[in-house]
Parts: sequence; C-alpha cells; structure tokens
Amino acid sequence: MAEPSDGLRPRFLLWLSVRFMTLLLQNLVNGLLLGGLYVCIAIGFSLIWGVLNIINLLHGSIIVLGSYIAYYAFTMFGISPFLAPLFVIPMMFAFGYGLQLAVLNRVVDKPVLITLTLTFGLDLILNNFMLAAFTANFRRVVFKDPFETLDLYGVIIPVDRVVAMALALVLTLAFYLLLNSSRIGRAIVAVRNDRDAAVLMGVNVKQIYAVTFGVGAAFAGAAGCLLSVVFPISPMSSGLYLGKAFVICVLGGLGSIGGALIGGLALGVIESMGVMLAGPEHSVLTGFLVLLAVLAIKPTGLAGKRGYE
Amino acid sequence: MLRLTNVSAGYGQIQVVRDVSLDVGEQEIVCLIGSNGAGKTTLLRAISGIAPFCVGTIEFNGEDLSDLPGHEIVTRGIAHVPEGRRLFRTMSIRDNLLMGAFRRRSASEIKHNLDRVYHLFPRLAERRDQAAGTLSGGEQQMCAIGRGLMSEPKLILIDELSLGLAPQVVDNLAKTLLHIRDLGISILLVEQDVEIAFELASRGFLLDSGQITVVGTTAELAENPQIKLAYIGA
Repeated sequence: MAEPSDGLRPRFLLWLSVRFMTLLLQNLVNGLLLGGLYVCIAIGFSLIWGVLNIINLLHGSIIVLGSYIAYYAFTMFGISPFLAPLFVIPMMFAFGYGLQLAVLNRVVDKPVLITLTLTFGLDLILNNFMLAAFTANFRRVVFKDPFETLDLYGVIIPVDRVVAMALALVLTLAFYLLLNSSRIGRAIVAVRNDRDAAVLMGVNVKQIYAVTFGVGAAFAGAAGCLLSVVFPISPMSSGLYLGKAFVICVLGGLGSIGGALIGGLALGVIESMGVMLAGPEHSVLTGFLVLLAVLAIKPTGLAGKRGYE
Repeated sequence: MLRLTNVSAGYGQIQVVRDVSLDVGEQEIVCLIGSNGAGKTTLLRAISGIAPFCVGTIEFNGEDLSDLPGHEIVTRGIAHVPEGRRLFRTMSIRDNLLMGAFRRRSASEIKHNLDRVYHLFPRLAERRDQAAGTLSGGEQQMCAIGRGLMSEPKLILIDELSLGLAPQVVDNLAKTLLHIRDLGISILLVEQDVEIAFELASRGFLLDSGQITVVGTTAELAENPQIKLAYIGA
C-alpha cells in the first residue's frame, strides 16, 4: 500500500505535464494562426525586393491603408473585412502600378540607397496623410455577432483568426499561381532572372516593374484587410508591419514564396513561444533574436535560394 | 530583308561599331565573323534595339527599326539568341520557350510553335519541366534557339552558336540551323569558329575593329588571304 503522498506526486506531475503540453500546443496554434497572416504581410514585400531590388519602405503604410479601407467599408456599409480584399486588391494594384510608373521607374536603376530614400519619403507622405485623415486613434473592427471560439481539449481556437489565416493562405496560393502559371507572372520571373533577355522576348520592362509593384501593393492591401479583424488599426502600426516583413524575408530567405511561407510561419511560432517563455512584452524581441541567430548561422535564410520558383 | 546602312553603335562614350552596312536576304544564312571585341555582339544588340547608343538606319522588310524600343523588335519578326544563351535559369524549359512567345496572343499558334520546337529538339521535350539553369551547354543552346523560334521570326540573330560546346554538339546544332533555314527563316550568325560559319552560311562579313573590311560569298572569304591568315591559320 502506497502512502497518499506517493500517489499524489505522480498524479500532480501528470497534471502538470498535461497542462504544459496544452500550453505548448496553444502557443503553437496561436503562432501558426499569426504566422499565416505574417506570410501575407511578407509576400508582396519580398516580390518587390526580389524583382525591382527596391526595399519598399512604403509597404507597412499600404498594409495599414488596406486595413482602413476594410474598416470603413465595414462600419459604413457593413461589408465584412473578409470580403474587403475583393475591392482592396484592385484599388491597391492601381495605386502601386501608378506609383511605379509615375515615380519609382525614374530611379529604379539607381543605387539602392536612392530608392530606399524615395520610398522612405513616400512613406512619410502616405503615413501622415493617414494620420490627418483617420487620426492616430486606434480603431477596431467589432462584429455584432462575435465569432465563436472552439475548445479542443483545452486548446482555444478563435474562429475569426482561423478564417483570417485560411484566407491569407488562399491569397498566398493565388500569388503562387499568378507567378508560376500566368503569362504576366512568367514575365515578372523572367525580368528577375535576366532583364536584357526579357527585353529580347518583347517584354516592356518598365511596365512589368509597374505590374510587379502593383501586385506587391495589392497583396499588402489584402493583408491589411485580414489584419483589421485581428489587430487594432492605426497609422502607427505601419512601422511594426514593415519590420515584420523585413524579418520574415530575411528569416525565410529573400525572393521566394517558399521563403516567405516558412519565414512567416516561423516568426509567428517564435513570437508566440516568446510570449509563453518570456512574457508578451518580449515577443518582438524573440523574433529579432532568432533573426540574429539565423543571420549568423545561415545568412541565406532558412529556404534561401535565388529566383522566384 | 534586313538592311543596315552606316550603322554606328556603342556604349555611352565608347563607339564600338562604325559605319557598318550589311544585308541579309530571304531564307539565307549570313555569317558575321571577327575576333574578340570586334563589335559583333554590339552590332546584334543594335539591331535588337538594346544597344545603349545607335545611329544609322536599320531597315527590316521596308520598315525602319532604328527608333523602335527593344521590346518591340521581336514583334517585327526578329528573334535574338544572345551570347551565352541568357536563359531564364530558374524557369523550366517549357516556361523559357513560352517566354519566347510572350508577344504572341493566339494559344493555338503558341501550341503549334511549341510542338515545332519539341520536334526540332526532342531533347527539350524530354526535359520540358527541368529548370533551364540545370541543363548542359548544348541543351541550353537548343533551348535558346527554341526560345527564339517561339516568336515565329522571319530572321534569327544567333550570337556565338558554338561557344563552349563540344564539336559533335555543334555539328548537330549546325544541321538544325540548316533545317530552320529550310523552314523559310533567315539567320544572321555571329561565330568565332570560321569553319562552322563558312559551312553554314552562303555569304559573310568580316568585322574588324568595328568596321566591315571584307564582304563576299563564303567561298570567296575562304580564299581571302587576310581571313586565311588571321582565322583559318593556313
């Protein structure tokens, strides 16, 4: 006959380890749900960097603009932010296409510092325009009938985030198909591979640049729509999103969809684990620490290779 | 069909080609020979509208091409197989070939041309899904020529057919070029290997330090003392 204290300890340990596993699983789920959105944040940024060799500092503000459009479409017309990409994508494409054609194409061949400065300036303009138009107050999409949360053996799964992540992955798939199975996508990849040879094939490179920037902006806007249901909306968030896009691209390896996918999901999980182990205030820090480690050990990123595949 | 009159071309301040006049007829292979740095590649780039600087007239089937931007040239019926192949390395053979047909809109026509290229180069058909960067040199040249054919050109400019390839591979490619000519396509061939060039072409031009110094049928060129001394080594 065992004494009561001996029976209690194993049971306590079992309880503790189940609790721990549940917590771990919960954070993994949180991380993946977040990561799906991060993938969507990064693909457009990665495309523009890879094809145009422009580090688009405007990216974060375009995401926020997408969020605002989704927010106002929701509050004024009652359109669900999940449907907002349907009109935000064409709007942001037109914006990006026009911007590249009218402004960025003038300096696209110049050293990277010039394009960096230009997109920095454009970002200041767009961001301050949003501050003036929408104020710095945080906005939030609040559904009348909130989405449910599922409880799977103690792991809480918020349905709105699952929908957002699923849509983000659908967008990523659409992005993949656009680049790999469409005529215009082939031209984008061809220009990235060899610009002169692409000209010989009859590709108008300046136009493809504009299309590329337009596609990058369109997906940034779409990411903004999905983010609007998860995060509060403010012009101040643009720097945060831009930083994430940066980390994801470097983490996953620049210039491929696979890289953005791996980088985005990895960052989501890393941040979420950081929350669990070190507390919410350190989530961004963990992301950057892992980034430093990756840069030191495998500078090409986790899936780094040349070209869009 | 192609006629260059007093064409000078180069890069910025540097004039590489001076006052060149040459012509290519219907269904004809013409070779352009000359040593390294003579300006052969620059001349082809000038025809294709991608030389940074070019003056003179370039006429093709009665149309003046001099002021057309580079990406419009292919729509007039001139394909360019550039030096070093310049394939889109991360893309599959099939996608490379489809890029050749970028300005053609009819799906059935593109399909027809794709089949024609696969028929001409069965090797490409076997490896259609393989990334172009992983091909051997000979296969890459096949892919580059096939990509050129996809635009359904009337004239192909080929820059250094034999560069870095084994003699046997070059022989096969040469046979294919004759076949392409028989399809009604003219070829302007830039070639270091004078023997191959003379075997294929009916006429030739010698480009020396940016200027055409010798013109004639390939039989005449083969007997020219200057060419014999410098290029054939006899």
